[in-house]
Order: sequence, then C-alpha cells, then structure tokens
Amino acid sequence: MITGTDLRDRLEHDIKTDRYVLNMGPQHPATHGVFRVVLTLDGEVIVNAEAVCGYLHRGIEKLAEARTYTQVIPYTDRMDYLAAMLNNLGYVQTLEKMMGVEVPERAEYIRVICAELTRIASHLISVGTYSIEIGGITGFFYCLRDREKILDLIEMISGSRMTVSYMRVGGVSEDLPAEFLPQVKKLMKELPAAFDEYDGLITGNEIFQARTKFVGVLNPETAINYSASGPMLRASGVNWDLRKARPYSVYDRFDFEVPLGRNGDCFDRFRMRILEMRQSVRIIEQALEGLPEGPFMGKAPKVIKPPVGEMYHEIEGARGILGYYLVSDGSPKPYRMHVRRPSFINLGLLSELCRGWKLADVVAILGSVDIVLGEVDC
Amino acid sequence: MFGKGLATGLEITLKELFTPKVTIQYPEERAPLPARFHGRFTLDKEACIACGLCQNACPNRVINCVRTKVDKKNVLTGYHMDIQYCLFCGLCVEACPKGALRFSQDFEMACYHRENVPLVLLAEGDRPACDVSAAGGKEVKAGD
Ligand code: SF4
Ligand code: SF4
Repeated sequence: MITGTDLRDRLEHDIKTDRYVLNMGPQHPATHGVFRVVLTLDGEVIVNAEAVCGYLHRGIEKLAEARTYTQVIPYTDRMDYLAAMLNNLGYVQTLEKMMGVEVPERAEYIRVICAELTRIASHLISVGTYSIEIGGITGFFYCLRDREKILDLIEMISGSRMTVSYMRVGGVSEDLPAEFLPQVKKLMKELPAAFDEYDGLITGNEIFQARTKFVGVLNPETAINYSASGPMLRASGVNWDLRKARPYSVYDRFDFEVPLGRNGDCFDRFRMRILEMRQSVRIIEQALEGLPEGPFMGKAPKVIKPPVGEMYHEIEGARGILGYYLVSDGSPKPYRMHVRRPSFINLGLLSELCRGWKLADVVAILGSVDIVLGEVDC
Repeated sequence: MFGKGLATGLEITLKELFTPKVTIQYPEERAPLPARFHGRFTLDKEACIACGLCQNACPNRVINCVRTKVDKKNVLTGYHMDIQYCLFCGLCVEACPKGALRFSQDFEMACYHRENVPLVLLAEGDRPACDVSAAGGKEVKAGD
C-alpha cells in the first residue's frame, strides 16, 4: 500500500517534470504597459523570472543632447508620466545646483506642494491597480475618483493633467491661480477619509491579505544590495528617505514621518504607499500654511548655460530615488544626460522576489514593485 | 473574525451607492476647463511681430513661422504648426513676447484625415507680402 508520505516522496523524487518557459507579456494588463517577463517554470513554481524591457524605449537621454536645457523639461514629464512634477523637480534642481541659481521661497513651497500632490496621485494609481491585480476591481475606482481631483488641481496650475512641464530653472512657470488654494485645502480635508476607505476596501480585505502577506519577502540586505529605493526599500524596514536623510528644497521645515514596513512582503509594500500618502497630506497642509508671498521665479539667465562640468543630484521620487546626471560642455545643450530611474532599478529585484513562488504570485509581486514602463525604458 | 474585512468593504461600497455620481456624461455634459488649459493654439495676427521666438523655443520643431522682410521689418506671412508632433508643453506660448500665441480651450482635435492634422494659423495666401507692403506693413482687409 502506498501511504501519503510515500506518494509525495515519489512525486518529488521519482517523477521528473521538464522545466518550461512561459512568456508573460508584452501585452499583459498587470505589466502596466509593454513589458515582458520570461518565466522559467517547474510545474507551477517559478525557477527564474527574467525581465525584458525596452518596448517603450524612446531614447530620451539621447534626445536631450539635441535640445536646449529648457527644452528637455517636457521630455522629463514623459519618463515617469504618473509623477511628472517630481521628474521636473529633479531635473531643474540639478541645473540649479550646477549653476548656483537661487530659488525664491514661494517657488520652493509651490514645488513642494506640487511634488507631494503628484506623489499622492501616483501612489493612488499604484494602490488602485494593485487592488485590480489581486482581483478586487472596486478599489481601483475609488482611487481613480480621488486621483481625478488631484489631476484637476494640477491642471489648474499647469494647464495639463499629466505632462505638466511646470517647473523651470529658478522657479516655476506660473504662480498658483487664485482658485487653487481653497480647493486644495478642501481636498486635503477630504483625503484622509478617502484613505480610510481604501484601508477598509483593500487593506483590510482577508482575500487581499491572504494573497499578499508574506509573499515575495525582500530582506533589507538584499534590498540594499540591489540598490532598491523608495517604498520598496522602506517596506523592508530600511529607513532611507531622501526628504529626511538629505533634505532638498524646503523639506527640512516640515514635520512628517517616514513609514517603515516590518516584513518586506507585498502587503507591506502596498501599505507603505497608503501610509506615505497620509504623510504627503501632512506636508501639503504645512506647506499651505507657511506659503510665503513673493516672486515665483528667481533670477535665472534667459539662456541656460551651465559651466563646463558635471553634476549628479537626486530626489525622492514616487517610486524611489530619482537621480539626474548632467554633463555640460558649456554650450546651451547638455552634452550627456543620464537618469537614475527608480522603477528600472527596483525591477532588477523581480527575479529574486519571484523565485520559488507560484505563477499566480508573479502578478502580486510585480504589482508591488510598482513600475512605470515610461520610466523603466526611458 | 474571518470575513470582517469583507463586510467592512461591502459597507463602504453600499454607502457609495447613495452618494452623488461623479461621472461626467461626455459629450452631453462637459467638465469645466481651467483658464490655463492647454488646448488648440490661437494666434493674434495683429499682435505677432514675427520674431520667431516661439519657433526657437519649441523642443520638437512644431512651429514654422514664415517671415517676409518688408521695409527692413519682418512681417508674418504664414504660420504653420505640425501639431501632430506637439507636446503641448507651452514653451512657445511662454516665449512669445507679445502674447500673440495662446492656448484655447478647444481640445477636440481629432480628425479623419491626416492632412487635416497640421494647424494653419495663418495660410500663406491669406496675407501675401506684396499686400502687406502696399498697406505700409498693415494687413490689407477685404474691401479696402
Ligand atoms: S507646446 Fe511645446 S511642442 Fe507644442 S508647439 Fe509649443 S513649444 Fe512646441
Ligand atoms: S513669439 Fe509671438 S510674436 Fe514672435 S513670432 Fe511667435 S507668435 Fe509671433
């Protein structure tokens, strides 16, 4: 007679199955764009997951070399198109650092407000789509409903909803419109209640938790070794947020916390984003309170011509550390631009995270990394 | 207790059933657009001094402003935009010293044929250079 243990023994040792390769993507709803994962599977278990990107490559870094410094700003919007303000901010701050341009107080506050609004909008997409990927479509609509309100505000400031091109070297392109302040204050009052709704709808859901808790665990050492950043890193309990660690702009004036995860699993990475949105609301409220009067544009030369040399500057983007490296040869066009795109670098962990998990978990893990293909491919 | 989270979720969706609807039924209903909205371009032909700054500011070479020299002065005789390449970034509008180039609130720019896509804000025939010089640099109006 064969006992259960015997049977399992036989299945594991005597019956050999061939490994096979399965393409996930490039057209797959969970990849948030065109992106392919080549999965090597042993039955249902992932042996290896190879990320294949490049389907959305537009060569922005190369395009920048044929544009003047100001003309590059619209192209930065199109990298992480869910968080265009943050991309703008990183780029203009790099140039300001290179040229020693002073930015007026008011402009710095406006920048912080815009950056944090964008961070919330970007995290809302991440939270919403993650809910879909786990199988709960309802959560997505709640997130999109509130993101729409933020996009309306951003449109009011910059004229565009996503590709904003709002920041300039030395400040911002236009002052805040009069109708902006009352509306943003109202929204900041409403948002915490909306976050509670997501917690009730998504975070607290038992099925969601069963699918995400202790799945795709990333330990802090591996996260650091792979140079992960942003919510991905902090979910593993590493306290590294550039807004706190190396404050830029006026972030040192605001009182906020850096949420940290405990287990480094998919659930923590998801939760990190909801907690960060709550902190962003706090920052915006403080920035609105302290918003000084004054010019919104500093004394920047009309033609941006940084001195010969190179500069690297990084900020805390929505997905992690967003760094710009610019080389100037003294001409009005960059000699070389390189962007450290957090999505791309976080994506390097995919294989590490997926190994040993089941096919169905790949979507959960990939969603928790929160990539934007515009940024991965650049 | 297992199922408590599900019940909370259902409670939230049930509550949402009784809140006002937020979906706008386009095209019957339209959302109000902000004043700064980046829509189709308009050009004030009288205000434009044909300096070409907008053309130089554009990162994607969308704008072609045709200039003719009349009495040592540049006169605008044509203004074309290859709007299919436009990023709607607003650098051109920002560069215009006279406020001649502006965004409008019109966003419905889809059309059936590719040749209709480029935006002609001033067609060459509309304002020939000879007419401009005859009127002493001013635009000739019909009936003059
Ligand atoms: S909006 Fe930008 S891309 Fe479009 S024409 Fe103006 S400068 Fe060029
Ligand atoms: S920048 Fe303004 S004034 Fe100069 S050519 Fe363009 S539209 Fe005309």
